[in-house]
Amino acid sequence: MSEIRKLDLAWLGLVLLSVGGAALGGRPDAGLGVTALVALVMGIKVRIVCDHYLELPTATRRIRRAMYAFCYGMPIVVILTSAFGDTLARLTGALI
Amino acid sequence: MSYAITVPDSPPAAGRIPGSKAMWVGIFCEVTEFALMFAVYFIARAHHPEIFRAGPERLSLLAGTGYTLMLLTSGWCVARAVHAMRASRQSACLRWLIGAFVFGLGYPVIKLFEIRWNLAHGLDGDAGVFIVTYYYLSFNHLIHVFWGLLGMIWVMLRTATGSYSAEEYAGLESFAVYWHTTDIIWLMIFPLFYVLR
Repeated sequence: MSEIRKLDLAWLGLVLLSVGGAALGGRPDAGLGVTALVALVMGIKVRIVCDHYLELPTATRRIRRAMYAFCYGMPIVVILTSAFGDTLARLTGALI
Repeated sequence: MSYAITVPDSPPAAGRIPGSKAMWVGIFCEVTEFALMFAVYFIARAHHPEIFRAGPERLSLLAGTGYTLMLLTSGWCVARAVHAMRASRQSACLRWLIGAFVFGLGYPVIKLFEIRWNLAHGLDGDAGVFIVTYYYLSFNHLIHVFWGLLGMIWVMLRTATGSYSAEEYAGLESFAVYWHTTDIIWLMIFPLFYVLR
Protein backbone atom coordinates (compact mmCIF):
# COMPACT_ATOMS: atom_id res chain seq x y z
CA MET A 1 0.00 0.00 0.00
CA SER A 2 1.36 3.43 -0.93
CA GLU A 3 2.19 6.02 1.73
CA ILE A 4 -0.50 8.36 0.38
CA ARG A 5 -3.10 5.59 0.51
CA LYS A 6 -2.11 4.91 4.15
CA LEU A 7 -2.41 8.61 4.91
CA ASP A 8 -5.89 8.80 3.38
CA LEU A 9 -7.00 5.75 5.36
CA ALA A 10 -5.53 7.28 8.52
CA TRP A 11 -7.64 10.41 7.98
CA LEU A 12 -10.76 8.28 7.40
CA GLY A 13 -10.03 6.28 10.56
CA LEU A 14 -9.57 9.48 12.56
CA VAL A 15 -12.90 10.87 11.33
CA LEU A 16 -14.74 7.65 12.21
CA LEU A 17 -13.09 7.45 15.63
CA SER A 18 -13.93 11.11 16.31
CA VAL A 19 -17.60 10.68 15.47
CA GLY A 20 -17.74 7.37 17.36
CA GLY A 21 -15.88 8.85 20.33
CA ALA A 22 -18.28 11.80 20.43
CA ALA A 23 -21.16 9.33 20.74
CA LEU A 24 -19.68 8.26 24.09
CA GLY A 25 -20.45 11.79 25.29
CA GLY A 26 -24.15 11.01 25.42
CA ARG A 27 -23.72 8.59 28.31
CA PRO A 28 -24.38 10.26 31.64
CA ASP A 29 -23.73 7.03 33.60
CA ALA A 30 -20.04 6.89 32.72
CA GLY A 31 -18.14 4.55 34.97
CA LEU A 32 -14.49 3.59 34.88
CA GLY A 33 -15.17 1.35 31.85
CA VAL A 34 -16.46 4.23 29.73
CA THR A 35 -13.60 6.44 30.96
CA ALA A 36 -11.12 3.74 29.87
CA LEU A 37 -12.87 3.55 26.48
CA VAL A 38 -12.65 7.34 26.05
CA ALA A 39 -8.94 7.18 27.00
CA LEU A 40 -8.39 4.31 24.56
CA VAL A 41 -10.00 6.23 21.67
CA MET A 42 -7.87 9.26 22.59
CA GLY A 43 -4.71 7.13 22.59
CA ILE A 44 -5.49 5.47 19.25
CA LYS A 45 -6.27 8.79 17.53
CA VAL A 46 -3.14 10.46 18.86
CA ARG A 47 -1.03 7.47 17.79
CA ILE A 48 -2.47 7.62 14.26
CA VAL A 49 -1.59 11.33 14.01
CA CYS A 50 1.91 10.63 15.37
CA ASP A 51 2.58 7.81 12.91
CA HIS A 52 0.90 9.04 9.71
CA TYR A 53 0.78 12.85 9.95
CA LEU A 54 3.90 13.56 12.03
CA GLU A 55 5.80 10.55 10.59
CA LEU A 56 7.34 9.84 13.99
CA PRO A 57 8.47 6.30 13.06
CA THR A 58 11.14 7.93 10.87
CA ALA A 59 12.15 10.53 13.48
CA THR A 60 15.14 10.30 15.81
CA ARG A 61 14.71 8.07 18.84
CA ARG A 62 14.73 11.01 21.26
CA ILE A 63 11.93 12.89 19.50
CA ARG A 64 9.93 9.71 19.02
CA ARG A 65 10.18 8.63 22.66
CA ALA A 66 9.39 12.07 24.06
CA MET A 67 6.30 12.47 21.89
CA TYR A 68 5.05 8.94 22.56
CA ALA A 69 5.56 9.49 26.31
CA PHE A 70 3.34 12.59 26.15
CA CYS A 71 0.78 10.95 23.89
CA TYR A 72 0.47 7.74 25.90
CA GLY A 73 0.87 9.54 29.23
CA MET A 74 -2.34 11.53 28.79
CA PRO A 75 -4.77 8.59 28.37
CA ILE A 76 -3.07 6.84 31.30
CA VAL A 77 -3.47 9.95 33.48
CA VAL A 78 -7.16 10.14 32.46
CA ILE A 79 -7.73 6.62 33.78
CA LEU A 80 -5.60 7.10 36.91
CA THR A 81 -7.29 10.35 37.94
CA SER A 82 -10.67 8.75 37.37
CA ALA A 83 -9.75 5.74 39.52
CA PHE A 84 -7.76 7.61 42.18
CA GLY A 85 -9.30 11.10 42.10
CA ASP A 86 -9.71 11.16 45.90
CA THR A 87 -6.01 10.46 46.43
CA LEU A 88 -5.05 13.20 43.97
CA ALA A 89 -7.40 15.63 45.74
CA ARG A 90 -5.83 14.73 49.11
CA LEU A 91 -2.28 15.10 47.77
CA THR A 92 -3.03 18.47 46.17
CA GLY A 93 -5.27 19.80 48.95
CA ALA A 94 -2.76 22.51 49.85
CA LEU A 95 -2.87 23.89 46.27
CA ILE A 96 -6.59 24.64 46.23
CA MET B 1 7.84 22.51 -21.95
CA SER B 2 7.01 20.59 -18.80
CA TYR B 3 8.87 17.77 -17.17
CA ALA B 4 7.21 15.00 -15.25
CA ILE B 5 9.36 13.91 -12.35
CA THR B 6 8.54 10.54 -10.89
CA VAL B 7 9.55 10.03 -7.29
CA PRO B 8 8.77 6.76 -5.54
CA ASP B 9 6.10 7.17 -2.85
CA SER B 10 8.26 5.85 -0.04
CA PRO B 11 8.62 7.03 3.57
CA PRO B 12 11.54 9.36 4.40
CA ALA B 13 14.77 7.90 5.74
CA ALA B 14 14.70 6.82 9.39
CA GLY B 15 16.53 8.60 12.20
CA ARG B 16 15.92 12.12 10.91
CA ILE B 17 14.55 15.29 12.49
CA PRO B 18 11.27 16.07 10.72
CA GLY B 19 11.32 19.78 9.84
CA SER B 20 13.99 21.56 11.84
CA LYS B 21 15.62 21.24 15.26
CA ALA B 22 14.44 24.76 16.21
CA MET B 23 10.82 23.84 15.54
CA TRP B 24 11.11 20.80 17.81
CA VAL B 25 12.43 23.02 20.62
CA GLY B 26 9.28 25.12 20.17
CA ILE B 27 7.09 22.02 20.03
CA PHE B 28 8.48 20.63 23.27
CA CYS B 29 7.87 24.05 24.89
CA GLU B 30 4.28 23.87 23.64
CA VAL B 31 3.85 20.31 24.88
CA THR B 32 5.26 21.27 28.31
CA GLU B 33 2.94 24.28 28.49
CA PHE B 34 -0.11 22.14 27.75
CA ALA B 35 1.06 19.37 30.09
CA LEU B 36 1.01 21.93 32.92
CA MET B 37 -2.46 23.12 31.88
CA PHE B 38 -3.68 19.52 31.78
CA ALA B 39 -2.29 19.11 35.31
CA VAL B 40 -4.49 22.04 36.36
CA TYR B 41 -7.47 20.30 34.73
CA PHE B 42 -6.85 17.00 36.53
CA ILE B 43 -6.31 18.64 39.92
CA ALA B 44 -9.47 20.74 39.50
CA ARG B 45 -11.36 17.62 38.42
CA ALA B 46 -10.13 15.66 41.43
CA HIS B 47 -11.38 18.42 43.76
CA HIS B 48 -14.72 18.95 41.99
CA PRO B 49 -15.65 15.56 40.47
CA GLU B 50 -19.41 16.20 40.36
CA ILE B 51 -19.03 19.56 38.60
CA PHE B 52 -16.69 18.05 36.00
CA ARG B 53 -18.95 15.02 35.51
CA ALA B 54 -21.86 17.34 34.70
CA GLY B 55 -19.69 19.74 32.69
CA PRO B 56 -19.77 18.24 29.17
CA GLU B 57 -23.56 18.46 28.91
CA ARG B 58 -23.28 22.25 29.31
CA LEU B 59 -21.05 22.53 26.22
CA SER B 60 -22.03 21.97 22.59
CA LEU B 61 -20.83 18.50 21.55
CA LEU B 62 -21.62 19.47 17.95
CA ALA B 63 -19.12 22.35 18.14
CA GLY B 64 -16.50 20.10 19.77
CA THR B 65 -16.90 17.44 17.09
CA GLY B 66 -16.81 20.19 14.43
CA TYR B 67 -13.45 21.50 15.69
CA THR B 68 -12.05 17.98 15.68
CA LEU B 69 -13.14 17.23 12.11
CA MET B 70 -11.88 20.61 10.84
CA LEU B 71 -8.45 20.20 12.45
CA LEU B 72 -8.04 16.55 11.42
CA THR B 73 -8.99 17.33 7.83
CA SER B 74 -6.73 20.38 7.75
CA GLY B 75 -3.89 18.23 9.12
CA TRP B 76 -4.54 15.60 6.46
CA CYS B 77 -4.35 18.30 3.74
CA VAL B 78 -1.02 19.53 5.18
CA ALA B 79 0.36 15.98 5.20
CA ARG B 80 -0.77 15.56 1.57
CA ALA B 81 0.93 18.89 0.74
CA VAL B 82 4.24 17.57 2.14
CA HIS B 83 3.86 14.38 0.07
CA ALA B 84 3.14 16.47 -3.04
CA MET B 85 6.27 18.57 -2.45
CA ARG B 86 8.38 15.41 -2.04
CA ALA B 87 7.11 14.36 -5.47
CA SER B 88 8.04 17.80 -6.93
CA ARG B 89 4.37 18.63 -7.47
CA GLN B 90 4.51 22.26 -6.32
CA SER B 91 1.12 23.32 -7.66
CA ALA B 92 -0.57 20.29 -6.06
CA CYS B 93 1.23 21.16 -2.83
CA LEU B 94 -0.20 24.68 -2.96
CA ARG B 95 -3.71 23.36 -3.60
CA TRP B 96 -3.46 21.06 -0.59
CA LEU B 97 -2.23 23.97 1.54
CA ILE B 98 -5.17 26.12 0.43
CA GLY B 99 -7.47 23.26 1.41
CA ALA B 100 -5.70 23.01 4.76
CA PHE B 101 -6.16 26.73 5.32
CA VAL B 102 -9.88 26.63 4.51
CA PHE B 103 -10.47 23.75 6.93
CA GLY B 104 -8.15 25.36 9.50
CA LEU B 105 -10.21 28.56 9.30
CA GLY B 106 -13.24 26.47 10.19
CA TYR B 107 -11.87 26.23 13.73
CA PRO B 108 -12.06 29.98 14.65
CA VAL B 109 -15.35 30.29 12.74
CA ILE B 110 -16.92 27.52 14.84
CA LYS B 111 -15.34 29.10 17.92
CA LEU B 112 -17.13 32.36 17.15
CA PHE B 113 -20.48 30.61 16.98
CA GLU B 114 -19.73 28.52 20.07
CA ILE B 115 -18.79 31.54 22.17
CA ARG B 116 -22.03 33.26 21.19
CA TRP B 117 -23.94 30.08 22.04
CA ASN B 118 -22.08 29.76 25.35
CA LEU B 119 -22.76 33.35 26.39
CA ALA B 120 -26.42 32.99 25.43
CA HIS B 121 -26.53 30.02 27.82
CA GLY B 122 -24.81 31.89 30.64
CA LEU B 123 -21.44 30.16 30.21
CA ASP B 124 -19.18 33.09 30.98
CA GLY B 125 -16.17 33.50 33.28
CA ASP B 126 -18.42 33.21 36.35
CA ALA B 127 -20.00 29.93 35.30
CA GLY B 128 -17.89 27.77 37.60
CA VAL B 129 -14.62 25.88 37.72
CA PHE B 130 -15.37 23.56 34.78
CA ILE B 131 -16.18 26.40 32.37
CA VAL B 132 -13.24 28.53 33.57
CA THR B 133 -10.85 25.58 33.06
CA TYR B 134 -12.42 25.00 29.65
CA TYR B 135 -11.86 28.62 28.57
CA TYR B 136 -8.35 28.58 30.00
CA LEU B 137 -7.31 25.54 27.95
CA SER B 138 -9.35 26.10 24.80
CA PHE B 139 -8.37 29.77 24.39
CA ASN B 140 -4.72 28.85 24.80
CA HIS B 141 -5.21 26.25 22.09
CA LEU B 142 -6.99 28.83 19.91
CA ILE B 143 -3.92 31.08 20.15
CA HIS B 144 -1.77 28.20 18.89
CA VAL B 145 -4.20 27.65 16.01
CA PHE B 146 -3.88 31.34 15.11
CA TRP B 147 -0.07 31.03 15.03
CA GLY B 148 -0.51 27.99 12.83
CA LEU B 149 -2.82 29.79 10.41
CA LEU B 150 -0.33 32.66 10.13
CA GLY B 151 2.43 30.12 9.52
CA MET B 152 0.26 28.47 6.89
CA ILE B 153 -0.10 31.77 5.01
CA TRP B 154 3.70 32.05 5.06
CA VAL B 155 4.33 28.55 3.68
CA MET B 156 1.63 29.08 1.05
CA LEU B 157 3.44 32.23 -0.12
CA ARG B 158 6.78 30.41 -0.10
CA THR B 159 5.29 27.51 -2.05
CA ALA B 160 3.64 29.87 -4.57
CA THR B 161 6.95 31.65 -5.17
CA GLY B 162 8.80 28.38 -5.73
CA SER B 163 10.95 28.62 -2.59
CA TYR B 164 10.56 24.93 -1.77
CA SER B 165 11.60 21.93 -3.81
CA ALA B 166 11.64 18.16 -3.44
CA GLU B 167 15.22 18.50 -2.17
CA GLU B 168 14.66 21.45 0.20
CA TYR B 169 11.33 21.77 1.98
CA ALA B 170 12.39 21.92 5.65
CA GLY B 171 10.35 25.11 6.18
CA LEU B 172 7.18 23.45 4.92
CA GLU B 173 7.80 20.35 6.99
CA SER B 174 8.56 22.41 10.12
CA PHE B 175 5.19 24.09 9.74
CA ALA B 176 3.54 20.69 9.19
CA VAL B 177 5.09 19.33 12.39
CA TYR B 178 3.76 22.32 14.36
CA TRP B 179 0.27 21.99 12.88
CA HIS B 180 0.07 18.26 13.62
CA THR B 181 1.17 18.83 17.21
CA THR B 182 -1.61 21.40 17.55
CA ASP B 183 -3.94 18.64 16.27
CA ILE B 184 -2.66 16.25 18.91
CA ILE B 185 -3.28 18.76 21.70
CA TRP B 186 -6.85 19.23 20.50
CA LEU B 187 -7.41 15.47 20.35
CA MET B 188 -6.66 15.51 24.09
CA ILE B 189 -8.73 18.60 24.96
CA PHE B 190 -11.82 17.38 23.08
CA PRO B 191 -12.63 14.27 25.16
CA LEU B 192 -11.68 15.98 28.45
CA PHE B 193 -14.30 18.71 28.05
CA TYR B 194 -16.91 17.41 25.61
CA VAL B 195 -17.04 13.66 26.25
CA LEU B 196 -15.66 12.53 29.61
CA ARG B 197 -18.36 12.39 32.32
